[in-house]
Amino acid sequence: MTSTTTLNPERVRAAVRDAVATVPDPEYPDVSIVDLGLLESIDVDRERSRTTARIGLIPTFGGCPALSMIAADVQCAVEAVDGVDRVVVDWLAGPVWTTDRMTTTAERALSDDYTVVLRRKDGGLRCPVCGSDDVADQSMAGPTRCRSVAWCGACRNPVEVMRS
Amino acid sequence: MRTLAAPPAGGRAWADLDEFQSFIDAGGMVEPDDDMPDEYRQEVFRFIEFHANSELMGGLTERDWIPHAPGIRLKQVFLAKTQDEIGHAHLLYMVAADMGVKTRTEMLEDLFEGRSRFHNVFHYQAVTWADQVAIAFLVDAAAFASQRAVFADCTYGPYKRVLKRIVAEEGFHMRHGEEMLLRIATGTPTQHEMFQAALDRWWWPAVQLFGPDSPPGDADPLLRWKIKSERNEVLRHAYVQKYVPLLHGYGFEIPDDELRHETDEDGNGQWLTGEIDWEPLKATMRNGGPDSARRIRTAADNWTDTAWVREALA
Repeated sequence: MTSTTTLNPERVRAAVRDAVATVPDPEYPDVSIVDLGLLESIDVDRERSRTTARIGLIPTFGGCPALSMIAADVQCAVEAVDGVDRVVVDWLAGPVWTTDRMTTTAERALSDDYTVVLRRKDGGLRCPVCGSDDVADQSMAGPTRCRSVAWCGACRNPVEVMRS
Repeated sequence: MRTLAAPPAGGRAWADLDEFQSFIDAGGMVEPDDDMPDEYRQEVFRFIEFHANSELMGGLTERDWIPHAPGIRLKQVFLAKTQDEIGHAHLLYMVAADMGVKTRTEMLEDLFEGRSRFHNVFHYQAVTWADQVAIAFLVDAAAFASQRAVFADCTYGPYKRVLKRIVAEEGFHMRHGEEMLLRIATGTPTQHEMFQAALDRWWWPAVQLFGPDSPPGDADPLLRWKIKSERNEVLRHAYVQKYVPLLHGYGFEIPDDELRHETDEDGNGQWLTGEIDWEPLKATMRNGGPDSARRIRTAADNWTDTAWVREALA
């Protein structure tokens, strides 16, 4: 989108960040990719009256089938930002994604809405359904590369665990 | 909508079926520790077992197409979809086995020995890559619509919690299906013909996936106990309204001579299909579909070929 006025680069950068934050993860339709820790960098460059926004993203797992979809959604969201003429989305090779990159907002949404939890620092698991610690690992492989499967012996529900 | 709130501590019991029905009608959620009526337990179990079997059979089929998928990106998609389906089956078998009707091994053995049922669409053979596009675009969408309707008001807590994630992931598969359709629909005339041939094979199985019309009144226990939230024909009708114009838009023909568009006095139009022949669906439910025997045999061979892994881990 071509803008007629030159906008302050810092304001453009903030608007780009807001736009990226509107993109949900394709597998968690109400959780933002920014809260999941996928956004690593935003660079806004102005050269010969054209503004380029370059967005650096980190995949949770290499080979994740959602990458091109997420990149297309980010492209689309940022192209709509006033003052941005060109959008480049890169998947960065580093740093490697870990569950530490997730915000508490994402952690809470995954736990409350999707029965998906993070492993505690002591290695234990807390059931997102009933709060019990009686949660045992079942298998390393879950429906996606980024999750393993556990079982809560207290409320008898399967629990999925984010892996990194 | 029933919430995903935490179950109450300790199990509950109901004096009779009427009291249980009132609990369901008031928006109650049933949890594993509850002393649920046996009829309810059996119905929910059968439904989840059918769903689990279908995810497993679907996953095995998609796996067969990983080497044939055109290009690295689609191989990646099929690899991930296979993992998704098998993972869904895994979670569903956990929930089903916990109900105490059959063990996980009993469910698997019944499936591999042809004593169980699974979705009609997995009783047909995918002939070309275009069939996979038709499955991803049409069949996944039908399965998604039907699962979303189960999720909407499902009364069995553990199933509803698993469905939340399954529905989100199936929604993601649908986007892949749309992407695949767009590619083949805007491709060469040969690709167009290929997809039309696949559509001729898959349209009716997709429409039949919703199942025959529900029995009148509240005779269907799945509706009465809110395991399903919507009647089969309502879901099918909504599906036809969406997919007929989409396929026409890309220049494809629906293999139904009696398909018609009717407009009422208020100007509201609707697509109506010709009469549905239920014999093919019934045949698949007896495991007598065109590709049932081969599919079940392949799945059974997988089970026996991997016995050593289970033994090693035991």
